[in-house]
Amino acid sequence: MKSVLKIALGIIAALGGFLDIGDIVFTTQAGALYRYDLLWAVVLGVVGIAIYAEMCGRVAAVTGRPVFDVIRMRMGFGLGLVALVASTFVNVLTVAAELGGLAIVLQLLFDAEYSLFVVLATVGLVIVVALLPFGGIERVFGYCGLLMLVFIATAIHQGPDWGEVAHGFVPSLSDSKLYLYFVVGVFAAALMPYEVHFYSSGAVEEGWDESNLRENRLNAIVGYALGGILACSLIVVSGFLFHPVGVDPTDLGTAALPAQGAFGETGLLLALGGILFCVGGAAIDSSFAASYNLAQFLGWEWGRYRGPKKAPRFTVSWLVFLALAVMIALSGINPVEITEYSVVLAVVALPLTYFPILMIAGDRSFMREHANGMVSTTLGWLYFAVIVVLALAAIPLLLMTNGGGG
Amino acid sequence: MLALALLLGTSGCGDLSRDELNRGVESLSALAAQGELIASGVARDATKSTYTRVMAKTLGGEAEHEAEKLADAEPSPEVERERDAAVQIAGELADLFSELQTFPGDERHGELVEKQMGKVKEQADAVVERLTGEEA
Repeated sequence: MKSVLKIALGIIAALGGFLDIGDIVFTTQAGALYRYDLLWAVVLGVVGIAIYAEMCGRVAAVTGRPVFDVIRMRMGFGLGLVALVASTFVNVLTVAAELGGLAIVLQLLFDAEYSLFVVLATVGLVIVVALLPFGGIERVFGYCGLLMLVFIATAIHQGPDWGEVAHGFVPSLSDSKLYLYFVVGVFAAALMPYEVHFYSSGAVEEGWDESNLRENRLNAIVGYALGGILACSLIVVSGFLFHPVGVDPTDLGTAALPAQGAFGETGLLLALGGILFCVGGAAIDSSFAASYNLAQFLGWEWGRYRGPKKAPRFTVSWLVFLALAVMIALSGINPVEITEYSVVLAVVALPLTYFPILMIAGDRSFMREHANGMVSTTLGWLYFAVIVVLALAAIPLLLMTNGGGG
Repeated sequence: MLALALLLGTSGCGDLSRDELNRGVESLSALAAQGELIASGVARDATKSTYTRVMAKTLGGEAEHEAEKLADAEPSPEVERERDAAVQIAGELADLFSELQTFPGDERHGELVEKQMGKVKEQADAVVERLTGEEA
């Protein structure tokens, strides 16, 4: 009973922590531009992250090796270094975007200088990380992130044509470059690799073994699926409210407008609170993911549980990545633009980390009876093909659409 | 603000194609739609003042930027009239956002601005219609 409760709480935390600024930006814009037409891209991305996370969690539980340990072992130092540099670049951009997002929400709530809030938000996160244990951080941000459920309530309150909504889950392609750009963006936002790298490292930190494989599967499948419902609700509310009147939600604050329209000030505050905790949690996850990757690749002592004294290089690298992200966030570039670049570049770098995990997860000499079965192998390779196609298309689409600006 | 925008409009430099102008006016229409939703929250006393103030400041800045960009560009003769209309619309939008920024908790102002935003959006859509020959 206790373990069931633990798993349920883990899933709830995963649900609350599923969304980040990338999901919020891309799904809201996708809904405004294409109404419900891109709901299928969320499903495609959510299934992708569930497959990737399940494999990474399983590899971590069975071999005790996190993602970048596996990458170096499988790809060697040279190619592994390419994957590390690409992932680190994307991670730092992501942290910058999340910090910028945090500052925007704080600005909307308290109306002071953006730059002041970037600094305050960063200091706040460092204090939270220093004071709270790992599980505490996960629970605070995961449970408070459940405020985002207001978007599901908003969708129900709006009462869209559910037949039309259902039609959005049927995959459709178009020759419009902007549409294809948003397919890539919505998919990539759901499949941000830092979430999986953080998850896998957390599994190693918590000492997972083969007895955790069920928990891993449930977290990956149920947790991400429920998180996907939240992402879908963002498309639905945006498609319902913004699409007919032609709103172009290029500001993060616009994403909260549908909740205000449905539930007034309470709805607005719930939405802003939900965004605050989702983005705050993602800032912590993505900054840790950057340090985890570096330390694992270089064989340093790493881990939040070890503390700064036992893992000094890991701790210093975390602070350095955070400082770099603060500088980017303070550079004056709109956090929404940073988000778009970080999401699109993340999918470009994704094959470099996905492939080694796919290989190890299917390798019986490492995984024994826990290696990928026929279904996992088929889905794993199918998704590898999808990821490679999207990775190749991402940069040209980014350039041709002027970053989604049309 | 409007006077400044019109003044800038007379000192054009550069090219402004029909497509570029159309994109600019479409973004003004989108800003007006967003402004209408925000003002509606103020009118119904269903929002938070800080949210309205910050959003109005951000969106007003975007409208001003669009006004300056359109005014700086030199339009081809066949779209000159639409360019001037667009500059005027952008100026009006910036003024309306400024009003929201000043009175973020005043329901009466919110109601007025909501109506004005609706009218400005209609004007922008009419310009788009003239530029594209299609209903906006």
